[in-house]
Amino acid sequence: MKYYFKPFLYICIFTFLVVIVAYVSLLDSRVTNKLDGVLWTVPAKVYSRPLELAEGSRINLNNLIRELDLLSYEKIKTNPKSPGEYSLKDNNLSIFIRGFDDQVPGLFALDIKNGEIKGIKRRDGISLDLIKLEPLSIGGIYPAHNQDRILLNWSQVPDDLVQIILLVEDKNFFNHRGLSFKSIFRAFLRNTRSLSIEEGGSTITQQLAKSLFFSPRQTLRRKMKEALAAILIELHYSKQEILLAYINDVFIAQSGKRAIHGFGLASQFFFGTSLENLDTEQMALLVGMLKGPSIYNPNRNPGKAKKRRDLVLKILFDGSLIQEDNFLEFKKRPLKVMQPTYKSLTRHAAFSDLVTLDLKRNFKDSDLRTKGLKIFTNLDPLIQKLLEESLIQTKKELQVKYGNTLNELEGAAIVIDTFSGEIKAAVGSTEPQSYGFNRALNASRPVGSLIKPFIYLSALSKYDSYTLVTPLDDSKLTVPIQGNEVWEPNNFDKEFHGIVPLHKALWQSYNIATARLGLELDHSSIQETFKNLGIEKKVPEYPSVFVGAFEMTPMEVIQAYQTISSGGFFSPLNSVREVRGTKEELSISYPYKLEQRFRPEPIFLLKFILEQTFVRGTARGYSLKLIEKWKVGGKTGTSDDQRDSWFIGYAGEYLALVWLGFDDNRKSPLTGRSGSLQVWKKFISNLDPLTIETRKPSRIIYEWIDLEDGLLSGKKCEGSLKIPFISGTEPKVVPDKRKWCREKEDSRTSKVVDKIKEMIEIKRQ
Amino acid sequence: MKTKFFICVFFTFFLLGGCVSVTKKVPNFYDIEIGKFSSSIRLLLDDVSYLKQEVLKVNAKKPSIQRILSQADLYWGKKELKNANAELERALRISKDESALYLRLAHLRLEQGLKKESQAFASRGLLNQEASSWEILLLKIYSSPKY
Repeated sequence: MKYYFKPFLYICIFTFLVVIVAYVSLLDSRVTNKLDGVLWTVPAKVYSRPLELAEGSRINLNNLIRELDLLSYEKIKTNPKSPGEYSLKDNNLSIFIRGFDDQVPGLFALDIKNGEIKGIKRRDGISLDLIKLEPLSIGGIYPAHNQDRILLNWSQVPDDLVQIILLVEDKNFFNHRGLSFKSIFRAFLRNTRSLSIEEGGSTITQQLAKSLFFSPRQTLRRKMKEALAAILIELHYSKQEILLAYINDVFIAQSGKRAIHGFGLASQFFFGTSLENLDTEQMALLVGMLKGPSIYNPNRNPGKAKKRRDLVLKILFDGSLIQEDNFLEFKKRPLKVMQPTYKSLTRHAAFSDLVTLDLKRNFKDSDLRTKGLKIFTNLDPLIQKLLEESLIQTKKELQVKYGNTLNELEGAAIVIDTFSGEIKAAVGSTEPQSYGFNRALNASRPVGSLIKPFIYLSALSKYDSYTLVTPLDDSKLTVPIQGNEVWEPNNFDKEFHGIVPLHKALWQSYNIATARLGLELDHSSIQETFKNLGIEKKVPEYPSVFVGAFEMTPMEVIQAYQTISSGGFFSPLNSVREVRGTKEELSISYPYKLEQRFRPEPIFLLKFILEQTFVRGTARGYSLKLIEKWKVGGKTGTSDDQRDSWFIGYAGEYLALVWLGFDDNRKSPLTGRSGSLQVWKKFISNLDPLTIETRKPSRIIYEWIDLEDGLLSGKKCEGSLKIPFISGTEPKVVPDKRKWCREKEDSRTSKVVDKIKEMIEIKRQ
Repeated sequence: MKTKFFICVFFTFFLLGGCVSVTKKVPNFYDIEIGKFSSSIRLLLDDVSYLKQEVLKVNAKKPSIQRILSQADLYWGKKELKNANAELERALRISKDESALYLRLAHLRLEQGLKKESQAFASRGLLNQEASSWEILLLKIYSSPKY
């Protein structure tokens, strides 16, 4: 027995040593791999557009205030003293900007009069012409573990923060080799005395090891592994590298599914600014949170968080890091942290889908999740908020009006900049924060009358054949289709309207007149118009297409109307403005793309009709003052049996589309006017957009025309309307019955003008 | 007395005529075909670098936009077209009624070989209500088929 025992013991010891060595080697490789690579995987950050405030530019003061609120700026009565505060006295807005990118933080005073920024001044009285508010962080594209961080290098870490961390967390950091037996002994004594775990003896290196590799459970086995890993870390890396890794990786807070790691992100998350802009007491709060990220979270437990911060300040004072007067002043300051802006991984689900879709054309998924890209989108946070609110609020109102039948009503809405095609906001559901089927992007539905302007544009592009007063026949139409089958379109009011001028047929949305017009035009010209509007689908050759039996997604519809609303200039819709990567090859900007697809004249004529939709057509209800102010134009759309309610319209520089309906395609009591238009109106009224004045094309002239017969009329004649024409295509005939009222106008103004013209002619001769 | 009356009438008509002729001195370039301009204007059509010089002389009306324009011109001078473009588009987001922006963007796109976009920017600039006659003339050059 004795003979066999010794070799067996040696084998056991040898095996044990092999296992230990193997484990240490494995751990060593994990330590180096993680610290060299995986730790530096940083998710992409997605931002809204930054708002630039320029001297001389027009601005809606209410909207600016609302944007400041969205950015968690606090309104105060006195002069702002710290970042994130603003005050408003009469027309003077003082903002203490937090700083972002090349915009330095500081106090700026804006003089705003009559909707225009008259001047911008710095605190020292120096005039500036441009300042920039930081963009709103709207989410990220995360790896599977949902850890979010902003990586900092040494130059971005303030000395004060380093000193606070060392003083509070590990005074002997520079003197130990990963473990501090003194701290462990002190913690052991204290925990034994209290019979509970009150104090940890972990060094910063141990905390880093714990954060990187192990679960937060406090067991002896885990502690031993942690100690071993700490020693290995100390063997491989310098103290400075360890401290930087700690600052970048330590877990500070949880926001929904998103884990906030590192001081860089924590600073942005709680104070909306970068680390170098923080005051001492703000740094003290963040360092204090390390002890218990959940207990000392200032949003959840502000009282405990403040106590902990003040304790850290006391440690700083005792350690002679701050003077007594500073200590007392810092203690007095409130926490002033930003409320978390979103709990889910991304703030606006439908818009984020669009961003991901746009980015996947240029980036690999892994790059988006790990390379720390900064993605600047075109999202306007205020527009997004108002759009979401309008949709939710209108649904509630419709439920009150129509009852429970609308409980499952769904919706989608998109807002773009008409000029550039930049997507400013997108909503894919009546519960905008929820993930799931994105109707803005994917719901392909019959568009109803929204298709009609495309048919009329095809006609108006043929200058010689069609004007706004070309008579169209809105009497009964029978079209043979297959065998003995016929197609007989109906108007919404189930009536025939006889001969109507072209413009009226569109703003009244007459189906029969439109179907006849579509049949008159050759199919290739209609297909060409659709293509120029950016509709890739082939237009089927059956007549019901002309009255809306054609399926499109909200994105496709708004793209087509973008070209119309911008005056004939096609710009592909885009959600991303710029991507900045740490490496040059990962940085991409998305420049404007502009292509003139239509002459301005037919577009001008079409826009006249779309404006009439608001003045006297299916979207009537706004005052002429507002119509003129916002330069509105739009079109309602209702599919068969009211399964889809659409409205699309432009106001100022924005084009907004709304769709309402059910996912299972059931009938609804809503038309385009009673449903989607109400969302649109609520949104535009709340936004009160600014307008851009544009010049009318030089070949456009105006004539007073009779609404019924489409012949010349006069301002004083009853039932007349001033209508644009492409010069040379205007009617020439004044019926006898209206000569008197047309001449009446002539006698007042035209005669004087004619006399002067005559005189000039004589002088020339 | 009669002579005095006729002299007064004559002067009144003379002044009126003068006023009319003054307004006629500022033609609306928008309505004139490019080919009908004088030979000095034709130089703009034939010499792209001369055209660029003229475009770079067009200033923005707002000082804030002018500052961004200057930065864009600086990039442009260093052949950093991407940065120049980014600055111009940044300015366009702030203000869409500055012809100086459309002109520069039209020329920049031309240099980038994007002829259709160049024409589109110029044509879009022509819809700008604030454009002066000289700016309209320059924009017309870019929107003409020659370029």
